Amino acid sequence: METIIELEGVTKVYRQGAVEVEALRGLDLVCEKGEFTAVCGPSGSGKTTALNLIGALDRISSGAIRLEGRDLTRLGRRELSGLRRDRIGFVFQAYNLIPVLTAYENAEMVLALQGVQAAKRRDKVMGILRDVGLAELADRRPDQLSGGQQQRVAIARAIAADPAVVLADEPTANVDSETADRLLGIMEKLNRERGVTFLFSTHDPRVMERARRLVRLVDGRVAGDERRQG
Amino acid sequence: MSICGMAWRNIWRSKRRSVVTIAAMTFALFLLVLYSGMIEGYLDGMERDVLDLEVGDVQVFAQGYRDDPSIYRCIDRPDELCERIGLPASARLLAGGLAAAEHSSAGVMLRGLDSARDAAVSRISERLQAGRWLDPAAAREVVIGRRLAKNLGVGPGAEIVLLSQAADGSLANDLFTVRGVLMGISDLTDRRAVYMNEADFRELMVLPRGAHQIIVRRSEEISLEEAARRVRAARAQGVALEVLSWRELMPTIASMLDSARAVIYVIFFVVYIAVGILILNAMLMAVFERIREFGVLKAIGVGPGRVFGLILVESAMQAAVAIVLGLALATPAAWYLAEYGIDVGTLGGLSVVGVAMRPVWFGSYSPETVAGPVLTLLLMVGLAVLYPGLKAAWIRPVQAMRHQ
Repeated sequence: METIIELEGVTKVYRQGAVEVEALRGLDLVCEKGEFTAVCGPSGSGKTTALNLIGALDRISSGAIRLEGRDLTRLGRRELSGLRRDRIGFVFQAYNLIPVLTAYENAEMVLALQGVQAAKRRDKVMGILRDVGLAELADRRPDQLSGGQQQRVAIARAIAADPAVVLADEPTANVDSETADRLLGIMEKLNRERGVTFLFSTHDPRVMERARRLVRLVDGRVAGDERRQG
Repeated sequence: MSICGMAWRNIWRSKRRSVVTIAAMTFALFLLVLYSGMIEGYLDGMERDVLDLEVGDVQVFAQGYRDDPSIYRCIDRPDELCERIGLPASARLLAGGLAAAEHSSAGVMLRGLDSARDAAVSRISERLQAGRWLDPAAAREVVIGRRLAKNLGVGPGAEIVLLSQAADGSLANDLFTVRGVLMGISDLTDRRAVYMNEADFRELMVLPRGAHQIIVRRSEEISLEEAARRVRAARAQGVALEVLSWRELMPTIASMLDSARAVIYVIFFVVYIAVGILILNAMLMAVFERIREFGVLKAIGVGPGRVFGLILVESAMQAAVAIVLGLALATPAAWYLAEYGIDVGTLGGLSVVGVAMRPVWFGSYSPETVAGPVLTLLLMVGLAVLYPGLKAAWIRPVQAMRHQ
């Protein structure tokens, strides 16, 4: 299997005034291509911090972190920005769509940033919106969509540019059970059919049940790593 | 979605704020285009008056005349020199004297000229308050300054006696009829000027040849320096003549005009600082309200340059709308002021650095009067957007997304 993510002894220390808070205390984690992994744990265990570091949204305090073999600590802001654009997809708990853009434009954005031609973008994005069941609502803006629909647009945006990994931070936290099931179904399908690698941060039992690998974090360290048959 | 399309939609997310910001920029631009036009019009008018009514572009004197204005220090064969110069030029005769009317008298400056030739270098004949300008066919008639007329208590048709010392040493005195009274021109002209035909001057002062002053004009295409150079080149070899541009003759007015133009830009900045603060405030609000959104943009790979560009384009678009609206409002108003001016007749007699104000204050509307306010507005918008733009561009995505 091809290794996508490698964390070796990663620590992350936040300063809150004079107080230092250790969010990660030597985290070791390896994720392979095509995995459908959930990182779970109690509040403050470091799930979101780990995802932010893997997603190059923040920098580690010490240790090593690699994405597709590239050492993130050696990359500058511009390179990290390019890496996020080309190799990482994000799905956030609060959807975080751009409110002035339609569903289609939100999903298309990363491809446009990559300079993909308009016709190719249209084919690809409409295909993905069909996969997530939103082709009919492509022209709607986020405020005209339900929470579940917005999260599906976020998933479409995350996978549009064929990233190496999609990092989903509590993607089902703000939706009802039925919608959560539907979202998980979509992500499972994308994982199965398109081979998209998903890494979730969650404390939603539904996500934990359906993940094929469950990494348990406690106090910023891996306390359990369970692999299941898909 | 292009950056421009996104910026345009962002502007209208907060309609009220955008409308207030655009309105402030529009109003400031409108005011400053008019202000710039009125000041430029005033300065242009003053410069034109100084040149058209008083000094011309370049003047020629016999060497030493300006330090010791003796009637004997003459330019020899002035007509030939005027021909050689190749620019519109006219010779004048100058002498000090005394004018007396029935009940009063005053020191005067006699100015003898060929009215036909002088019309090519001076428009003073068009600035009469009463009566008519000199007619070469009408002997012993004079046109005098308005203060002089008032001091002597005379008007058109009245008679005055002019006295001086003639070139032959005799007492020059003769009776002249006032043909016209000038409008306000300058302090000196208003109080002391007596214009007369060249022939009358020569007869009164017993000065058959020569002239004391040659006034030269230039066209727009010829620079002041070039005109002065041509005049110097036209001097006959071995003849000592003093050639001076109007800037050398009237340095106070020249420097006042220069500094007044610089002051316009200071005023632009002062007015725009207020607008700049408003824009800064609006952009800070727009950026901090959307800081999470910028975090998301950065998270999905939008670089700092594009984030900054987005904010810059949003401000530039608001400025562009303000420029269109501001110019649409300012153009008819500025045109009206340039065409019809403002009647300042009630300020009659008021003069600035010795130059009388015109009775009608005309504005000016030209690319220069528009470019200054527009460019300054764009500069202020650029400065105002710098801080919020850089803040959004350089904030860490995770920090921006945590922002409440």
